[in-house]
Amino acid sequence: MKKPGALFFVLLLFLPFAVEAAKIPVPRGYVNDYGNMISSSAEAELAAKLKSFEETDSTQLVVLTVPSLEGEPLEDYSIRVAEAWKIGQKAKDNGILFLVSREDRKMRIEVGRGLEGKLTDLTAGRIIDLVIKPKFKAEDYDGGFTAGVSALIDATRGEFTADRRTPSGGQGPYVPFAGEMPPWFALLILMGFFVLFSAMARSRARHDQLRRNDLRGRGLRKSGTWRGYPPYPGGHYGEGWSTREERDSDHDSGGGFSGGGGGFGGGGASGGW
Amino acid sequence: MKKLLRYVASGIILLMLSGCGYNVMQQNEEAVKAAWGDVEATYQRRSDLIPNLVETVKAYAKFEKDTLTQVTEARAKVGTVQMSKDVLDDPKKFEEFQAAQNSMSSALSRLLVVVEKYPDLKANQSFMDLQHQLEGTENRINVARTRYNKTVETFNASIRTFPNNLTNKLLLHLKAKEPFKAAPGADKAPQVTF
Repeated sequence: MKKPGALFFVLLLFLPFAVEAAKIPVPRGYVNDYGNMISSSAEAELAAKLKSFEETDSTQLVVLTVPSLEGEPLEDYSIRVAEAWKIGQKAKDNGILFLVSREDRKMRIEVGRGLEGKLTDLTAGRIIDLVIKPKFKAEDYDGGFTAGVSALIDATRGEFTADRRTPSGGQGPYVPFAGEMPPWFALLILMGFFVLFSAMARSRARHDQLRRNDLRGRGLRKSGTWRGYPPYPGGHYGEGWSTREERDSDHDSGGGFSGGGGGFGGGGASGGW
Repeated sequence: MKKLLRYVASGIILLMLSGCGYNVMQQNEEAVKAAWGDVEATYQRRSDLIPNLVETVKAYAKFEKDTLTQVTEARAKVGTVQMSKDVLDDPKKFEEFQAAQNSMSSALSRLLVVVEKYPDLKANQSFMDLQHQLEGTENRINVARTRYNKTVETFNASIRTFPNNLTNKLLLHLKAKEPFKAAPGADKAPQVTF
């Protein structure tokens, strides 16, 4: 390149993305053991447990271990992951992230807004202090994760019970025009109709003229039946990172998993061991 | 055909109306207000925790009267900063609010440093509980402030850019909002090590 300055500038544009995106791992399932702390048998057991927990209670509890926080404050990292993964159902905000950093010897339970009533900072803190910490201190990581997840499930039980995932989460039939639609989009559709109708009117006029010129009609029926809607972008407006199809075909780590757009407000507790 | 043109024209006018930024600015201002509500709520939550904390510490650390009174005074001061609706539009009031909360933050972190000298207190279950609550609250404050700043950024940008700035000048007369500025030590949760 003739201008190294230009190249540098372009690279500079990518810098914020590089810094932001590099550290948030890709969600693989309910248990994301990037820190290699859980044995594979315990991991499978946990994943199955968390999957059935979501199926019965709709609460999404996700475990993430990382090798290191690379100097970032635990709380900042944890809320960033929770926001990026959108754990929990939209409008219920019932997600929990259990984050452990191996080298920092730190952990955090990040609680979604909808669960703050049941799983208070205090409860989360006690689970860390009394259930997980002693096991981690004794280097019984499998036991710590299993006991911790059970305690978290027990603590949240009762809230949102027997409430299946909503269609916006991907389950159930897709209903066109269900849910919110931005007003500009409605307007766009309306405009689309006008354009289409005017085009149709024009083509019909042309068609009539063609016929009048005693040329054979070319498959354009006079009634001009026209079916279907203008294209409407997928069921969910960019919430979550995988579509239902992708999720169904994704069978690693205890079956498909995706966040539903749950919100977090910084509730939860941190601890170390 | 003429009728059709009229429909199309009215559609375009509607589009232009929404294109002048009137609705966008209103929405952005509401977002700022909602985020501010969260900030207030989290600060309030912290204030509510203080009396319990002070009582618990008092039982174990009788000699730390100074630190305790500082916390109590800071809380009282926070209470006197009247939270009115126009705190968002008034940089001076906003400054005042921020200063009061910051002095509370530093008084609290001093208290938590002092506590380190009392192993009995640190091992006390109710103190540990309080500490979790306090940590959680500080973290919420942090999150709420960050989100508030983001909405302010969006709002301020939306009233400045064309053509929204014209609409604002002629119709809405909205003022730019103040973001939180990081105060030394105030943006972090008090560091507590065991």
